[in-house]
Amino acid sequence: MAGAKNHDYHILPPSIWPFIGSMSALIMAFGGIMWMHQDHFGAFGAWVFYLGVAGVLLTFYSWWADVVREAHAGDHTPVVQLHLRYGMILFIASEVMFFVGWFWAYFDYSFFPVPLELAGEGKELTATNMIGQEGAEALMQWPPKGLEVLNAFELPLLNTLILLCSGTTVTWAHHSLINGNRDGLIKGLWLTIILGIVFSAIQAYEYSIAPFPFAGINYSSAFYMATGFHGFHVLVGTIFLIVCLVRAYKGHFTPKQHFGFEAAAWYWHFVDVVWLFLFAAIYVWGGWGAPVH
Amino acid sequence: MTFTKIVKTLSIAALLAITPQAAMAQEAVPAAVVENEQLTPIEEAAAPGEVPAGETEAPEAAGSYVPMKPTEGKGMPVDGGIDFQDQYSEVGQQAYGMHNYLLMPIIVVISLFVLGLLLWVMFRYRANANPDPSKTTHNTLIEVIWTLVPVLILIVIAVPSISLLAKQYEPAPEDALTIKITGYQWYWGYTYPDNGGFEVISNMLSEEDARAAGEPPQLAVDNRMVVPAGVPIKVIVTAADVIHSFAVPSIWFKMDAIPGRLNEKVMQIDEPGVYYGQCSELCGARHGFMPIAVEALPMDEYNAWVQSQGGSIKGAEEAAAETAAADAAEEEAAATPETETTENAAADAEPAAAPAN
Amino acid sequence: MTTIAANPGDMETHADEHHHDDVPPFFQRWFMSTNHKDIGTLYLIFAVVAGIIGGAISGLMRMELAEPGIQYLQGWASMMQGSAATEDQGLHLWNVLITAHGLIMVFFMVMPAMIGGFGNWFVPIMIGAPDMAFPRMNNVSFWLLIPAFVLLLGSTFVPGGTGLGAGTGWTVYAPLSTSGSQGPAVDMAILSLHLAGASSILGAINFITTIFNMRAPGMTINKMPLFVWSVLVTAFLLLLALPVLAAAITMLLTDRNFQTAFFDAAGGGDPVLYQHLFWFFGHPEVYIMILPGFGMVSHIIATFSKKPVFGYLGMAYAMVAIGVVGFIVWAHHMFTVGLSVNLKMYFTAATMVIAVPTGIKIFSWIATMWGGSLSFKTPMMWAIGFIFMFTVGGVTGVVLANGGIDDAMHDTYYVVAHFHYVLSLGAVFSMFAGFYYWFPKMCGRMYNELLGHVHFWIFFIGVNVLFFPMHFLGVQGMPRRYADYPDQFAYWNEIASYGYAIMGIGMLVFFANIGYSLFAGRRAEGNYWGEGATTLEWTLSSPPPFHQFETLPHIK
Ligand code: HEA
Ligand code: HEA
Ligand code: CUA
Ligand SMILES: [Cu+2]
Repeated sequence: MAGAKNHDYHILPPSIWPFIGSMSALIMAFGGIMWMHQDHFGAFGAWVFYLGVAGVLLTFYSWWADVVREAHAGDHTPVVQLHLRYGMILFIASEVMFFVGWFWAYFDYSFFPVPLELAGEGKELTATNMIGQEGAEALMQWPPKGLEVLNAFELPLLNTLILLCSGTTVTWAHHSLINGNRDGLIKGLWLTIILGIVFSAIQAYEYSIAPFPFAGINYSSAFYMATGFHGFHVLVGTIFLIVCLVRAYKGHFTPKQHFGFEAAAWYWHFVDVVWLFLFAAIYVWGGWGAPVH
Repeated sequence: MTFTKIVKTLSIAALLAITPQAAMAQEAVPAAVVENEQLTPIEEAAAPGEVPAGETEAPEAAGSYVPMKPTEGKGMPVDGGIDFQDQYSEVGQQAYGMHNYLLMPIIVVISLFVLGLLLWVMFRYRANANPDPSKTTHNTLIEVIWTLVPVLILIVIAVPSISLLAKQYEPAPEDALTIKITGYQWYWGYTYPDNGGFEVISNMLSEEDARAAGEPPQLAVDNRMVVPAGVPIKVIVTAADVIHSFAVPSIWFKMDAIPGRLNEKVMQIDEPGVYYGQCSELCGARHGFMPIAVEALPMDEYNAWVQSQGGSIKGAEEAAAETAAADAAEEEAAATPETETTENAAADAEPAAAPAN
Repeated sequence: MTTIAANPGDMETHADEHHHDDVPPFFQRWFMSTNHKDIGTLYLIFAVVAGIIGGAISGLMRMELAEPGIQYLQGWASMMQGSAATEDQGLHLWNVLITAHGLIMVFFMVMPAMIGGFGNWFVPIMIGAPDMAFPRMNNVSFWLLIPAFVLLLGSTFVPGGTGLGAGTGWTVYAPLSTSGSQGPAVDMAILSLHLAGASSILGAINFITTIFNMRAPGMTINKMPLFVWSVLVTAFLLLLALPVLAAAITMLLTDRNFQTAFFDAAGGGDPVLYQHLFWFFGHPEVYIMILPGFGMVSHIIATFSKKPVFGYLGMAYAMVAIGVVGFIVWAHHMFTVGLSVNLKMYFTAATMVIAVPTGIKIFSWIATMWGGSLSFKTPMMWAIGFIFMFTVGGVTGVVLANGGIDDAMHDTYYVVAHFHYVLSLGAVFSMFAGFYYWFPKMCGRMYNELLGHVHFWIFFIGVNVLFFPMHFLGVQGMPRRYADYPDQFAYWNEIASYGYAIMGIGMLVFFANIGYSLFAGRRAEGNYWGEGATTLEWTLSSPPPFHQFETLPHIK
């Protein structure tokens, strides 16, 4: 580092992780393609894919380990912390737009339903677009006629409560942290993480009993991909919180400086809010009056 | 390409840039000329042993249909052309007029105005001529002007533009003839639900065949979409596999053919003739080789054509259907419920084959 | 920016000897970089390489289109697949070429050059910051482009339906891109876009944070140089538009590989939904490609007029307005999909609104020159050329904005002409302007003024001969994405191909100029443009020290 540095910004030394991470992303992407096209690329796709994933995970781990190390070295001056805050908020903003895409699909199908005829039952449902056939109009409804949806006020409602609860526990942890109460921080984090895991477990269970298949119908596509990406974010959020828990045990956080924790909490709240929209739009509004399972 | 041709090109381009009139004068549609032309193609097309069919003389029997000879330069692009194709529909003429007499002059004038200003400042304020730059950075009046004037210009454009849209999307009259167009990879299918529901499959002619038939290669097809001239037709466009687009420049018609949707648009062609078009949405390898040929005929000739295809005349068919209910089962595909086309689909003719995965 | 003048007392000794000791060894410097200038250089090199590839592909396209009939495609396809190609495989290659050309030019040439290259180089310097807010993340933004580009180029060698490669058009419309293209090629193209998108989102976060938080003391937001403004607006567009594209292409991916039915009509999916999602991204994307150009042109015009920019605030907020309105006009790309007439009226009107802030910019540039003392150095030539050519491209956009007129124009060469005027004569002109303007600053050596002018004039003539006739083809009805066309279109197509050849000669001059200047150019001093150049980069040496502003400048 130049001796003449005369400002509070963080001038970083060279780092290999961007390069490794990018190359891992290439391996991962290409492995995924090999996996999806085994007829063309042979049977090793999955291994290549996992190799790439491993590289990406290694990158995340090492990169953020560096960040933590730098934080302890005092590189995160107030202005650098402000950077991190902006960065996180902007990242969440982009995530919001990502979900806009999935909601867009869902509302497209629900506001402009097509005449879909469903044959078979439950997981064997197959759909046919009945465009142009007599009586097609009767089939223009949402959810598609003949499709049973999940009852919003059973597991989904439970999950809503769980996530809302976890929002309060993470706030509890935050307040404890600010007040220098490490015990409360750790308890709050544990609770949040457990609630997160329970949520994911219930969600997985619900997928397994869902009365409609994954493939072939617009409803399923919108439902599974929107809730699925939300689920993925819950997973990421949970891991983020677990990292915070470990760091809390190690005593990394001080009442004054704990942006890692705050970022995790913001992210968690974001995941929470997305769920509220999913719950309101897909489960409650979208399932209103439809036959439930 | 000879040097002279290049020079010619550049000078035309330059001329065009200087005077909007050059472009507009090119081939504005002189209605009178058009009217004189309309009989020729049919006369030319007359095959041995057939009555030359004028507008007034309907061919007698079914099966007497002979594809009309296209007229050079009508319903097709012209060599080295720089203007729209001549328009043979009312919307086409309205839109054409709006473009050539409103939009073109405006954009040419704006471009030349900007160019003129640039040249002027480049000349007047070059360093030699003006060694001491001014420091002016604000002038509220001029800023307001160059905000408001464009607003006004845009309003002048928007008003006729909106009414043009309204005109283009006037729904077809209740009793309009319905024709359904289906895009396939890589050909077109034309179904006539009001005429018994037969489907005409239309493939591009090979270059040799086209030339032999005296038609423009890559535009000519084996079986044309035959329509009656002078009446509004309700056209329903859909596709069976991927998205195509049914486009005929000389009648200002373009409508995407989308699997799972029935897009509706009115087609009204002023006068008999052959009008060529091309698929206008990327649809795979042979996207460039699924041309469209619309042949507009006077109503009675159209009816004769229908009969030559084994179809039934529109009004007659309905009457027949009433008496012979038994036929209805056979004609299932022809049953045309007048259900509304919504944003997203529904209702008419037969199911659009949806793409299999 | 009108009042920016660095306090000279604060910024003397930036080229001190000891800074040079900081420069890391080769591998660390170029593969592990955390230095915005080095990363900017990497981006620029990348963009030039991509530009050569994308430009070469368009050369193949112009060769094929020079006369009617299929001349070369089948042969090229045979070369690529190593066995005799069928006619259809040749035609498929056409679609692969235009897809690759469009995607490369948009995602791998213009965006990396403008945002990654010039943005990285000059945004931190112009706001008086020592580097970007997240220097390490900056590097991953660059390096993600490499796998993205590899995937895109690689996709052309694997099956994609009828032949090798992704032949979907840069818009990747479903269901041609789903059920219509079997094989891995389209998946590779999709993942390429995912990675390029991730790169841009991270870059956007970086720029916004940098611009909001790292302005030197005294540089309020309304004193920021216009280039910084333009990158700020661009970054917001990227941040909000790209994730929607990510969602859309993820849907493509799952439709292709996991039997979802987002765009599959048989399962109630909606192909038009894809178009909405794509253009919700795609329209802001076109402003992403032009706004940084607006920024650069403002500086260049001011510098060579020896006059501050006219109507600075109006210029800045015009860009904000373009950015905002740019989000609510997307369906003007979809006038023929069967939108309801009310929607078409709305999108017609909304689209035209953008002409107003754009006009403000055009006229403010001219007003900047008005009363100035103009010197016509190469960057100025490109900037003036930009103003005129962009106007020509912009006004044809206004023609297209009329839904009723677009019915005839849509998917014809008129559209191709429109967007090449705003891109190949707009964005690319501004890129060359910026390149000549800053090249000596970046590498420390002056370019050759004569070669620069020669490059400009040949290129200017070339691209006009190339693209102007496309308007004629368009109004005559020639559809885009055609490998072959009826004879009636032969004349103007041949002219266009000649235009390409002229343009190509211009590019040779460009490369000769770079090569010459890099090795033999005259050394450039700190402010080689003199008094007209007022932003902070001109207070530094050329090239600037490895770490600039170790003492922050104070802006009066
Ligand atoms: C840099 C990229 C760029 C830019 C800046 C623009 C700018 C504009 N574009 Fe363009 N456009 C593209 C890139 C761009 N476009 C691309 C790539 C496509 C095709 C995509 C594809 O299908 O593959 C496309 C397609 C496209 C279409 C769809 C055509 C079709 O497919 O049918 C439309 C329709 O409305 C349109 C309109 C406009 C308008 C109104 C502007 C306006 O922003 C222009 C505003 C500027 C001016 C008007 C000039 C300056 C103003 C004045 C001098 C003031 C006075 C002027 C007036 C009062 C008019 N564009
Ligand atoms: C920025 C965007 C961009 C640029 C610059 C260009 C440049 C060119 N394009 Fe185009 N083009 C597109 C974007 C662009 N294009 C898109 C999006 C499509 C639609 C694709 C689709 O339909 O899906 C298209 C389609 C398209 C078609 C229509 C194909 C069809 O519909 O069938 C044609 C036909 O001639 C064409 C030709 C050309 C030519 C001859 C050039 C020449 O001008 C090329 C000359 C080369 C350059 C001008 C680049 C030089 C730059 C550098 C070497 C980098 C320098 C770097 C620095 C200074 C840092 N392009
Ligand atoms: Cu069918 Cu293009
Ligand atoms: Cu647009």
